[in-house]
Amino acid sequence: MPADDPYSAGPGASLASQPAGGVIYDRGYRRYDGVRLGRLQIALALFWHSLRSSFGIGRGAKAKILPVIAFAGMCLPAAVNSVAVARGGPPVVFYGTYTFPLRVVIMTIFVAVQAPELVSRDLRSHVLPLYFSRPLRRRDYPAAKYAAFTVACLIMIEIPLLLLYLGNIVSAKGSSSVWHQTRLLAGGLGVGALWAVLLAAIGLALACLSAKRAYATGAVAIFFFLTWTLAQIIYSVAGHPVVHAGPHPVAPGVTAVPAITSGQRLAGLISPFTVLDGVRQWLGGKVPGPMAPPGHYGPVYGVMFLVLLAASLTILAIRYRKAGVE
Amino acid sequence: MTTRAQGAVTETAVIETQALTKRYPGQVTALDGLTVAIAPGITGLVGANGAGKSTLIKILLGLVEPTSGRAMVLGHDCRLHGERIRTLIGYMPEHDCLPPDVTATEFVTHLGRMSGLPATAAKERAAESLRHVGLHEERYRQIGTYSTGMKQRVKLAQALVGDPRLLLLDEPTNGLDPAGRADMLDLIFRIGTEFGISIVVASHLLGEIERICDHLVAVDAGRLLRADTVSSFTEVRRVLLVEVEEGARPLADELARRGLDPRPYQRALLLPLAGDATYDAVRDAVADLRLPLGRLERRRHSLEELFRDGGEPALATTEVPDAS
Repeated sequence: MPADDPYSAGPGASLASQPAGGVIYDRGYRRYDGVRLGRLQIALALFWHSLRSSFGIGRGAKAKILPVIAFAGMCLPAAVNSVAVARGGPPVVFYGTYTFPLRVVIMTIFVAVQAPELVSRDLRSHVLPLYFSRPLRRRDYPAAKYAAFTVACLIMIEIPLLLLYLGNIVSAKGSSSVWHQTRLLAGGLGVGALWAVLLAAIGLALACLSAKRAYATGAVAIFFFLTWTLAQIIYSVAGHPVVHAGPHPVAPGVTAVPAITSGQRLAGLISPFTVLDGVRQWLGGKVPGPMAPPGHYGPVYGVMFLVLLAASLTILAIRYRKAGVE
Repeated sequence: MTTRAQGAVTETAVIETQALTKRYPGQVTALDGLTVAIAPGITGLVGANGAGKSTLIKILLGLVEPTSGRAMVLGHDCRLHGERIRTLIGYMPEHDCLPPDVTATEFVTHLGRMSGLPATAAKERAAESLRHVGLHEERYRQIGTYSTGMKQRVKLAQALVGDPRLLLLDEPTNGLDPAGRADMLDLIFRIGTEFGISIVVASHLLGEIERICDHLVAVDAGRLLRADTVSSFTEVRRVLLVEVEEGARPLADELARRGLDPRPYQRALLLPLAGDATYDAVRDAVADLRLPLGRLERRRHSLEELFRDGGEPALATTEVPDAS
């Protein structure tokens, strides 16, 4: 279009010449005739943006504190293990469970704090109409957010496993030992992927129910801790009091606990974490988990995993079907 | 609805609707057979709150499916090509839609990417858009620290960042003080006239529309009241104003008896003007009643006036039967 003062300098160059009052708009308008990205590439951009903000990148320094601490905490067992192995001792951390209680606590905190970062902020500031008045379709938004947060959880879980692997193979003797470690790692990575897929879904589904970040964080944290505690309580109540005193697993290497009741085998269905561990053991994981192996209830754990995942993704989809329009 | 709309339209309408109807569950009718065509330029979409302005905008953006009827934006059907349309439209919502804890630059850049711009282009255009709306150094500050006027500018900048062919602005002067309103209106006028972007401004404030728009579309209860050029809305109205120092009521009765249709307006009466006979009738009535006549004039009226008396009835007086 005709411009009174067509400018040739870059956008930043005009800054110095602007008067402080700032009422000069008449600098000529330039049409954009460059490349326009399609819907999928826009969704990909949203994915990257969300993945970065999962770790506070592109935000202030404060936003990075928690993700960094959580990640460091997750790497700690790998470091301890590599020291132990380097000294010639047996491995103290296993790929399948990876110091289960620590993983539960750190992932609960990470998901509870970072999932609202991805969804509650946009709800709170009513920014969704701006997304949905752009080429993105309704489902693209939650899909990009879910993909991003799944990858964020994968980074939290899998990178420590890779460090664990590195620590083990540095001290490994012979190629068969390395091969053995690699196979164990593959299993561990698979389990980690299940964790990431499910925790990201549950975290976002709970977080998107509230536009207030504190509530969203509370909802996620309470859900994870409450179900985890409840599973443990029911596990110990359902056991034979004489034979079995507590929910804690017996020493590594000993898999058979005498007289496990059906109640104990099913108690793990209450918490997503124990569901994940039940699935792991059902699929052949040998390392003892926080609870007794599911035994022939294994498929029930598989179904429960799918039900939790489907329910969470359904909530997410429904939440964004109308959001930003009303 | 009426076909009056066509009076305001050239062959290249940016927006065209045909019998557009939207009913929400629970028998709420937001749009009721709206047929209108909007030409390039700056068009005011006026109506009281709840008249259907926002619903119309959402249908145009392809965010809401119409119950029946058809809507076209820049030649694309809203029902079928919402995605394509949304690359061509910039939308400024009525309500607050800005996160407080990011800078305007980051925010507009991100939304530029969401409009389909590659990363570098998004950065450049975000800087340009913010400069066009008059935000300079401030754009590196967090939006939470902005005044209402600056926030409105950021909302406008994000609508502009994707180089739209059409801007839909929903109550852009919401919450601004008079000076802020004037600035925002100047800005919209510049964008509409100098940037070559067509603009539809939804507003319930007619005074504003009058200032910056070429065309006007008035809706009420989901129906089209009138669509025309602003000048024709404000053209000399074939209405006669009669003001007497006292005795307005007996005069009204007398005029009604003589077959006229007087309507009280402030301290005066308004009459549909149908040629010299109307003047004669007024003269005779005033003389017969021996009333002191203070004022007798043909009215030129402003848009505010059209709506002041409650929308439709006031507008209906513009459609008095006359010779034209």
